[in-house]
Amino acid sequence: MKYHAKFQGPGGERTRQVEVREDSSGVEVVLDGRAARYDVSATPEGGLSIISSDGGHAEVVARAGADGDYRAHVGHTVLTFELLDDLTARALSAAGRRATRSAGDLKAAIPGRVLRILVGPGDRVSAGQPLVVLEAMKMENDVKAPRDATLKSVEVAAGQAVGSGQVLVRFEPEG
Amino acid sequence: MSAPRLLIANRGEIAVRIARACRDLGISPVAVYSEADRSSLHVRLSDAAVAIGPAPARESYLVVERLLDAAKRTGATMVHPGFGFLAENAAFAQAVIDAGLVWVGPDPKSITAMGSKTESRARMQAAGVPIVPGMTEPARGPDEIAAFGRAHGFPLLLKAAAGGGGKGMRVVRSEEEVPAAFERARSEAKSFFADEAVYCELYVEEPRHVEVQVLGDRHGRVVAVGERECSLQRRHQKVLEECPSPVVGPELRARMEEVAVAAARAVDYVSAGTIEFLLARDGRFFFLEMNTRIQVEHPVTEMVYGVDLVSEMIRIAGGAPMSFERRPDPRGHAVECRIYAEDPARAFAPSPGTISRLRWPHGPGLRIDSGIEEGDRIPLDYDPMVAKLVAWGSDRDQALRRMRRALRETRIEGIETSIPFFLELLQDPDVVSANVSTQFLERWTYSGGTGASAVEEELALVAAVLGASRAARAARGSGQPSWPSAWRTARPTYGSRE
Repeated sequence: MKYHAKFQGPGGERTRQVEVREDSSGVEVVLDGRAARYDVSATPEGGLSIISSDGGHAEVVARAGADGDYRAHVGHTVLTFELLDDLTARALSAAGRRATRSAGDLKAAIPGRVLRILVGPGDRVSAGQPLVVLEAMKMENDVKAPRDATLKSVEVAAGQAVGSGQVLVRFEPEG
Repeated sequence: MSAPRLLIANRGEIAVRIARACRDLGISPVAVYSEADRSSLHVRLSDAAVAIGPAPARESYLVVERLLDAAKRTGATMVHPGFGFLAENAAFAQAVIDAGLVWVGPDPKSITAMGSKTESRARMQAAGVPIVPGMTEPARGPDEIAAFGRAHGFPLLLKAAAGGGGKGMRVVRSEEEVPAAFERARSEAKSFFADEAVYCELYVEEPRHVEVQVLGDRHGRVVAVGERECSLQRRHQKVLEECPSPVVGPELRARMEEVAVAAARAVDYVSAGTIEFLLARDGRFFFLEMNTRIQVEHPVTEMVYGVDLVSEMIRIAGGAPMSFERRPDPRGHAVECRIYAEDPARAFAPSPGTISRLRWPHGPGLRIDSGIEEGDRIPLDYDPMVAKLVAWGSDRDQALRRMRRALRETRIEGIETSIPFFLELLQDPDVVSANVSTQFLERWTYSGGTGASAVEEELALVAAVLGASRAARAARGSGQPSWPSAWRTARPTYGSRE
């Protein structure tokens, strides 16, 4: 299957095309049109030990987050990117933008306790504005608005414990 | 006769450290635990364990009656508080003593004397311990500021007497600047705080944090055991410490140790404690505060001086003299990295969770003080420090190399940790050459994954795409939510996951 990987960097967005084929002799990956074979085996932590044909190797743990976001640990280097399969990428590109993101919810990136809620339904918030304060491990963390938006609802209450990925607030879809 | 028992009124890696000292002394360690710590390592390594309440510390580790009750129920005769929680709480120390138990720490009156900023400054001044020179009354005019500068040196920091939070502060670098700066500081003070009174103190620019370990016993002995450099701090928390300080030579060490002993004697100090100093670039040093407990970074001192400070604390509490008359000579260099459950890529957000995989480093010159094991859940209720990696070398360069090796070898999966931050920090030329101050990390930023190599990016993509295509196959169902049979045959371990 074909995938599109998008990296956000200082120089803007960068997309790479990746295709994977598996057969009896192992794994072949076509990266931006260049095919290479890899020796892949599992590691106990649920990651992969990957050795490329030119000897490059690392233990990699790649985890899918919300909306196709990936976070990979390669040794101690952490990479984040967005990975979409070919069909989804084309559908989104035809729609002009990612529909799932335009409405969207704000989720807790970390588990914690809700210390304070700073906004209410109907509030117009701007990108970077703190909406909810979570406390975890003796530290307070502001959960900020990812973009300018109007709040539809607040899904948590002060004092409540929340898990990672739990929805904190919902935004109105943008028109 | 059964071994005497010591109650460890703490959790995590320091509780484990104290349990180890108990074993070394033939004492039986007793753990306490909150509901979140039922299966923590410190419980597993102790001979007895007592539940003391729900996860929040104020309902468990901070409840004096439950700790005393735990000691009574298990027959413990000694209490070691570790650090944090109630370690510097004089009322707790007194309650332990009043319950007829042995308090492994300084006398409550020493804790009280050093716990108050004003009292400790006054006591230190009386004992001849240098404190940052400052005016005790508002200046009546620029002449008084200039005279202060002539007496103590420049730069000075002008401050609003009614101020706080950095507002209305002004750095004055020479006597010529005094008149104009004084007028501006006064008008700022007036507009910010409606009070034009200003005073000044010496401005210690780009200071280093250097602290001296002291140990006192009930036989009249107070010994300083060298210094530690702890200038690398983030959000006022130390992240990397070393012993000795790279900028302290034998002569300065002797002076700092002499002052530290005087400071400890001024409050009749018994047990292990630390005198923290600001070290100015011109070699002057000033008393900051005293920590009346064992410190997080004590292992670097132990590695270089060949002493066991936690064991000494327990011996001393039992009435024995400390095991050395003079401090041993230092040998080599030690570095400590505090491993926090924090995500450096997300502004060091806390990262509690379950440790799915753990590999500690091994090999020459390493010490690991850890409170975690594979499979443990790191609760969100406590401090994020989960372990300390300590590397020793015959010199600083070797210690740093070993630390880099140890960090690389370590694998902690399931939570994010500060390890990538340290790997990057230890490549900084200023850190390598020890050209740092307490302000260094305020200016230093972690670049994170932007430094990924082409190979790393390639392997990350291969792993992600394999995972995604596997998930897609599983979603399509057909009762075969795994890899194709050929793949499974070729790599049975991978196919059998899940």
